[in-house]
Amino acid sequence: MMHITPNIPDPDAFYAALLDTHRGLSATESQALNARLVLLLANQIGDQAVLMSCLQTARNTGATHRRNDP
Amino acid sequence: MTELSPTGYDLPVYDYVRPPELSGSGSGHCRVAIVGAGLAGLTMACDLASRGVAAIVLDEDDTVGVRGASSRGICYAQKSLEIFDRLGFYHRIRDKGVTWSVGKVLRGQDTLYRFDLAEGSRSAQPPFINIQQFYVEWFLVDRIRELGCTELRWKNRVTGIHQDENGAVLSVETPDGRYSLEADWVIDAAGHASLVRQSLGLPTQGELGEDRWCISDVRFTKELPVERWTWVEAPFNGNRAVWQHLMADGVWRIDYQMLPNTDPQEASRPEMAAARLRDQLGPDVEFDLVWVGAYAYRTQLMDNFRHGRVFFIGDAAHVKSPFGARGGNSGIQDAENLAWKLSLVLKGQAPETLLDSYNAERRPAAVENIAVTRRSGRFLAPRTDMERLFRTAVMDLAVDHPFARLLLNTGRMCVPHHYGPSPLTTGDTGEAMPNLVLSSRPLSDMLQGEGAHFLALWCPRDAQDRLGSSLSPLTQEGWPLHIQAVSADDRKALGMAAGEVLLIRPDLHLAARLPNADAEQLRSALRRATGRT
Repeated sequence: MMHITPNIPDPDAFYAALLDTHRGLSATESQALNARLVLLLANQIGDQAVLMSCLQTARNTGATHRRNDP
Repeated sequence: MTELSPTGYDLPVYDYVRPPELSGSGSGHCRVAIVGAGLAGLTMACDLASRGVAAIVLDEDDTVGVRGASSRGICYAQKSLEIFDRLGFYHRIRDKGVTWSVGKVLRGQDTLYRFDLAEGSRSAQPPFINIQQFYVEWFLVDRIRELGCTELRWKNRVTGIHQDENGAVLSVETPDGRYSLEADWVIDAAGHASLVRQSLGLPTQGELGEDRWCISDVRFTKELPVERWTWVEAPFNGNRAVWQHLMADGVWRIDYQMLPNTDPQEASRPEMAAARLRDQLGPDVEFDLVWVGAYAYRTQLMDNFRHGRVFFIGDAAHVKSPFGARGGNSGIQDAENLAWKLSLVLKGQAPETLLDSYNAERRPAAVENIAVTRRSGRFLAPRTDMERLFRTAVMDLAVDHPFARLLLNTGRMCVPHHYGPSPLTTGDTGEAMPNLVLSSRPLSDMLQGEGAHFLALWCPRDAQDRLGSSLSPLTQEGWPLHIQAVSADDRKALGMAAGEVLLIRPDLHLAARLPNADAEQLRSALRRATGRT
């Protein structure tokens, strides 16, 4: 099951670290970093059903949520 | 496609013989006709012959391979090698071919991933042998002739078919004119452009890929490791993919990914092929181009692999891109799957309904192979900037992180399909057994012989166990079955528990795994496995 309740121990610190990780990078470099990050995090999760839920949730949120399902 | 230098390949030419039907002496009828003497058709003929089932093979050509020396499939997977072993000519493949198990995925000079398929392999045959397809076909023809009950008709081109519930009639064209041949069963192994399929008006869902590749089969003196190397990004090929693999006679298969809009004629000009090779191997390497050909990926799939009295096997039924050697090898497995079933039906040991399981088992295998090869194709030819971004991320991470190496997809090597959902399978099984050597005898050996039979291996609980004798009435009841007790050593190799029975099909797939088995359970599994329920 995908976590829907908060699960990050220190959310503000994580968010700051996430932004800091991108500091000084061009948009292209940041995109590449994000791609590596997605893959690393996916391996941490290691649960196919949770990964599928996360993919779907990401797709169905924000500016892409009104587009048809992939 | 161009034949540049067929030197060194001295291929057999088979005599065309005027068919008896054109001399007024033939019966004009046969029980089994096989259309096409390619890999799938010849395996079918050989497998049937090994079971004592006669067939007539009709082929438009009079030699092996396609257009003479041109090579096609080169990687023969363990399952195919096990089938060749059961058919009695594996030793010729082993002696002529190149046995390999190590593969590398590279980016430029860097090895991103190295694997050894021999790790964990438990079969009497190695994971892979590379050999030109025409050699396999050649050895098949020799073996078919040795077995003696098949009629091979060369320069007999099947141009059409019509059928009713009693049989099919093939229209055949020869240098001496046309004739008709009736057959109780027809096996169409005539490849992706099958006239039998077209003549029956059967659709095939298909698409032609945009990705273009160009093969160079080449001999050179430079020493290279006998490994499968695949570059996702090769600097000597404009950062596109390259395959490098050795086959028999010291010939390397080098396959270059081209730009999507590449003109195939231009790409396969000898000067272009030579320039690519010099970019890869260095300016001073001497080489001899054996064959060059450009191609695009093609996907095709029939809705049903059986149509009345006609069965479609190999490329006639399904075509996929070559990643992982899933084309020829799955055609060989199609043939094996159908041969034992047809043999049991023709010998009156199973009902005709057994034949429906050919489609029920082999179509899902084709669907899976197409899905798997599409994923590899998508990795190797990213369609968007995003797809390329993720591929780069995978390669960047793969250097230090083993998890990312598993995402590198330059082809997933051919493995036997799992027949779990098959109507023939009892319980949660259906996987292929490796060709284990039990008490110095390989399983493939125990499955040889006239007709087709299952193998029931039973594991004694103790020295006094009467399980074996309680099962033996089944052979008297006429079930096509050999029963054998397993030794303590073999029990470990098979992962069996005391009192358990494994029911192995003639194609080495597991039909049932029966813990605390008795005769009735085995009978019921056999009923299912022979298409009676």
